[in-house]
Amino acid sequence: MPKTFLIDTSRCTACRGCQIACKEWHELPANQTRQRGSHQNPPDLNPNNYKLVRFSEHLDNGVIRWNFFPDQCRHCDVPPCKEMGDVYHEGTIIQDEKTGAVLFTDKTTVFTGEEFEQVREACPYDIPRRDPKTGLLSKCTMCNDRVQKGMLPACVKVCPTGAMNFGERADMLKLAESRLATVKKTWPKAMLADPGDVNVIFLLIDDPENYHTHTVAQAAFGPMTKKQFLATLARPFKAMAKV
Amino acid sequence: MKIDRRSFMKLAGSGAACLTLGQLGVSLTPVRAYAGDLKISGAKEVVTVCPFCSVSCHIIGYVKEGKLVSTEGDPDYPINEGSLCAKGAAMLTMTTSHHRLQKPLYRAPYSDKWEEKSWDWMLDRIARRIKDTRDKDLILKNAKGDTVNRLESMFLLGTSHAGNEECAIAHQAMRGLGVVHMDHQARI
Amino acid sequence: MTNHWIDIKNADSILIMGSNAAEHHPISFKWVLEAKDKGATVMHVDPKFSRTSARSDFHVPLRSGTDIAFLGGMIKYILENDAYFKEYVVEYTNASLIVGKDFGFSDGLFTGYDAKTRSYDKSKWGFEMDENGVPKRDKTLKNPRCVFQLMKKHYSRYGIDAVSSTTGVSAENLLKVYKTYAATGKPDKAGTVMYALGWTQHTVGVQNIRSAGIIQLLLGNIGVAGGGINALRGEPNVQGSTDHALLYHIIPGYMAMPHNGWQTYDDYNKANTPVSRDPMSANWWQNKPKYFTSLLKAWYGDSATQENGFCYELLPKVEKGEDYSYMYLFDRMYRNKIRGGIIIGLNPMNSIPNTNKVRKALDNLDWLVASELHHSETTDNWHRPGVDPKKVKTEVFLLPSAHRLEKEGSVTNSGRWLLWHYQVVPPAFEAKPFGDMFVGFMQRLKALYAKEGGTLPEAVLKLDYPDKYDSDELCARINGRFTRDTKVGDKLYKKGQLVPSFAALQADGSTSSLNWLYTGSFTEEDGNKAKRRDTAQTDMQKAIGLYPNWAWCWPVNRRVLYNRASVDLNGKPYNPAKAVIEWKDGKWVGDVPDGGWPPLATGKGKLPFIMTVHGTGQLYGPGRMDGPFSEHYEPVETPVNSNMFSKQLSSPVYKFMSSDMDKLAKPADPNYPIVLTTYNVTEHWCGGGETRNIPNLLEAEPQLYVEMSPELAQEKGIKNGDGVIVESIRGRVEAIAMVTIRMRPLKVHGRIIHEIGMPFCFGWTTPGTGDSTNRLTSWVGDPNTTIPEFKACCVNIRKADKLTELAT
Repeated sequence: MPKTFLIDTSRCTACRGCQIACKEWHELPANQTRQRGSHQNPPDLNPNNYKLVRFSEHLDNGVIRWNFFPDQCRHCDVPPCKEMGDVYHEGTIIQDEKTGAVLFTDKTTVFTGEEFEQVREACPYDIPRRDPKTGLLSKCTMCNDRVQKGMLPACVKVCPTGAMNFGERADMLKLAESRLATVKKTWPKAMLADPGDVNVIFLLIDDPENYHTHTVAQAAFGPMTKKQFLATLARPFKAMAKV
Repeated sequence: MKIDRRSFMKLAGSGAACLTLGQLGVSLTPVRAYAGDLKISGAKEVVTVCPFCSVSCHIIGYVKEGKLVSTEGDPDYPINEGSLCAKGAAMLTMTTSHHRLQKPLYRAPYSDKWEEKSWDWMLDRIARRIKDTRDKDLILKNAKGDTVNRLESMFLLGTSHAGNEECAIAHQAMRGLGVVHMDHQARI
Repeated sequence: MTNHWIDIKNADSILIMGSNAAEHHPISFKWVLEAKDKGATVMHVDPKFSRTSARSDFHVPLRSGTDIAFLGGMIKYILENDAYFKEYVVEYTNASLIVGKDFGFSDGLFTGYDAKTRSYDKSKWGFEMDENGVPKRDKTLKNPRCVFQLMKKHYSRYGIDAVSSTTGVSAENLLKVYKTYAATGKPDKAGTVMYALGWTQHTVGVQNIRSAGIIQLLLGNIGVAGGGINALRGEPNVQGSTDHALLYHIIPGYMAMPHNGWQTYDDYNKANTPVSRDPMSANWWQNKPKYFTSLLKAWYGDSATQENGFCYELLPKVEKGEDYSYMYLFDRMYRNKIRGGIIIGLNPMNSIPNTNKVRKALDNLDWLVASELHHSETTDNWHRPGVDPKKVKTEVFLLPSAHRLEKEGSVTNSGRWLLWHYQVVPPAFEAKPFGDMFVGFMQRLKALYAKEGGTLPEAVLKLDYPDKYDSDELCARINGRFTRDTKVGDKLYKKGQLVPSFAALQADGSTSSLNWLYTGSFTEEDGNKAKRRDTAQTDMQKAIGLYPNWAWCWPVNRRVLYNRASVDLNGKPYNPAKAVIEWKDGKWVGDVPDGGWPPLATGKGKLPFIMTVHGTGQLYGPGRMDGPFSEHYEPVETPVNSNMFSKQLSSPVYKFMSSDMDKLAKPADPNYPIVLTTYNVTEHWCGGGETRNIPNLLEAEPQLYVEMSPELAQEKGIKNGDGVIVESIRGRVEAIAMVTIRMRPLKVHGRIIHEIGMPFCFGWTTPGTGDSTNRLTSWVGDPNTTIPEFKACCVNIRKADKLTELAT
């Protein structure tokens, strides 16, 4: 049974403890950023930020809604990035059987630019990034080192409000259902994002598109049909066929 | 629309069984060692208090060979129970920040640069400056003839960053010298 | 805080007003959400929709500087709907006291106002006394001159329409908050108020808080679990640094600074020791001479004797009525009256108002000592942009300081908990604690005075000053020691032993203590209690999360102040499920009670508000400079030119400066039609001196921004992310526009008023981040505290053609 996160956005205050704790544990250097009219900074995930709190605001019948989305790798049950990666270079992206953590190894430097793009596109949540200097692919590691030692991931340990939760999948699913039932009383639209497929389950209290473009797998593909989506995933095979 | 990635897996035909990392002979930079020692393994744990807001969250500093290697919230402190905010989470890089002042710096009147000096040199000269100011300006009596023993031309500003013990002796020093212009963050 | 951080979870209703708790005290939201989980309603009343608002049940935007109108409306609502807690109000507050005939209020002014001196004669506001000198009471609350009736009359003017038109809050929103919060007036319900600088930083700051105090007393919310009036307090050890009084007007332990009118030790004690003839009043401050004498003994050691008035004469005396706070200091510096000084762990060149003036003022110093972690706008003021260092005379001593992780010692959190931090790593490079700096120059000064003499050398030579900085030993000095063998109860304490509690402090010189509030924190029996890490609690304590064995808290480890107001006259808790204390089998259990007297019904009890002369909570507060009741006045810079409540536009007694650089925009000045409010941001700390130098935090909030509504942006032709210039009559600042629906235009006095908001954490020593927002704000201050009005001034805004301060 893999480990699972429950990220309860109804409790997130966007204090960004998780975003910073992640950088501090992994000793990721700071990017030079600038103010672009948003508190969301850096603007996107990047090789130095495996975790990013996204800010999104809109008016809902005159009521301000400000949604916070602590974005990170979903550690998919069956990770498309790994599947795609294996097509080119098997074993560069791996999944830890014990924890379910999906990990980019240092072999990921072998990916060509185009191969990396395929890996990135395969991810329904647009997570994989590449360090242009080292060529390494990067993303959340589930703090696999900590988890192997019985510690919580840095982002979970630091969270003050119970937005970030982590544990055995069965326990997290149970917690997710119970939290969902509670928050639905206040936010009828509340839902769990792709709980069956991922090990990082977001509890949302607003429509997914009001958080981010890649909140749920579906949202990323807009009006695309399942067939069209699968066709996208199958692209590399077409590429291989040409070889 | 529900995407079933299991069907994709079949389609891709990889089907490779997941391995536990221990079975793999690969190094995992930047994933970092998973099975080996953590950077905090064997480190000395020291309890401190976050230097920012007055919730005063407790933080454990992990120290190896005299160097801070990591910090985490103290799970035992009943207020933060191990959690921290963005600032509290940044203690490692606060301590290792390369912007820190390294040595006492002196700027002479009308100079356009800092000069490095020793603590002793600085404290000697500061004491001289304070004494000269006090000896010249201490007001023993006010216009009405009341004894006032006050030094108006020198001040202390700060600081709530100081600990209680530092504040106590700062106050004692200033009143001892006759200082009346004294203020800090509590008024702003 | 009257209560403490964990106690927030016990509230049934949480009013967050004058604070942005989730952003500036993020961990507080752990406890706010715990209360919410249990059904509490969380309300955020603030000009800006912030991260706090996002997690509250609802947000109510109001115009900055109109809190008293908002709260005055709530007081009226509570009184007129009989929502107050009657027994509590009658028994524990001064509602029943009869106010003297001289008190009156007319058209915005209380009686006793002198327009020439801009001050009140507070003697006009006293209570009527009976023949024994005890205040007259009417417990039926019917007497038209009792506090209750006067209060009802005073706030009757705060009707929904006037309040709505003044604050910009809709009638519907006003009633929503009033109704929800007033519901805590039931004996078994509690409401808490979480406030911070959003209330203090106004020319009516103290009265903002007084208004909330009145509400809390009316609803019976003081002294109870989940209640209180809770100043979140901003700074890392601002509670401790205030207790130890790094302030001009007090000395440690909240005692007045001597002034020229009190020439002798006896004069001081006589003037400062309140007298009550009411047998029901504990009048705790009657013990002040014990605390004051012990302080003098701690300062001057063996030199302080009964005969020499414990060296009182050597102490500086301020001039009666004179103000020596920042505002006046920098004004005097600007006028070349100040020679030199010390600025440590503070960045006033960025974080106090009208920075253009204070930066210029600092150039007038002959010498400046600074101790900091990093270069700051203050340490490096002499080469700030646009200034030729060759023209600046100041000799600057910049000492590298150690931060919290690099030294050990104690700090006090907002809940008054005394907490120990150990040294994690030695100071980096040549950094040292502030303590080493003070001891370093004081030992040198002592040596110099011993050798050379000088002016009044005995004031320095007689100081019992430590010869090295040792935080544990200083904790013992703060706690206090016996100066001779002394018996306390049955126990004999030897000379040099630690005093067990402030009840044992004496006015005869037999005890010393650097701060009476902390006496009992370090004892012979238990050592330094700041180091206690015991989570043990009784079931009763556990029910409210009291943690009496974790560290220690002043006073006497009492976790909830005024807790005897949480029980009825028989000592039974008003809310048994969340009892703070209870009289059981002839003693109090739970928290440490506010004095151990039996319940009032026994006839041997004392009223619960022991720090006030009459023992009652002060609905009517005759000690303030600006009146015994709160009254709405406009901020000094205001977008309107009338006050709906009186002809008095702004506070009649606010403080101001009159140099050529202290310009103020006139009311409703068309050149400055927009209200500016300033604040912190989660990722930076105050003036930003530390956090701008922490790369991971600068990454998250890299540059100065200005939050504004889409409506204003459209009006001004500004797009999100544009560079803009914000201008007040005092200065101009570059910022990046953050156009957001979280700022709402408000309908005020029948027209639309825009409000914008900016953080003040960026400065020129971190290139490209922007420079001091406080170049815009004004030097006008509260008459009680001289805290400046950072939260409201008037500005204009336009799109910038070119950016220099923000150029990256």
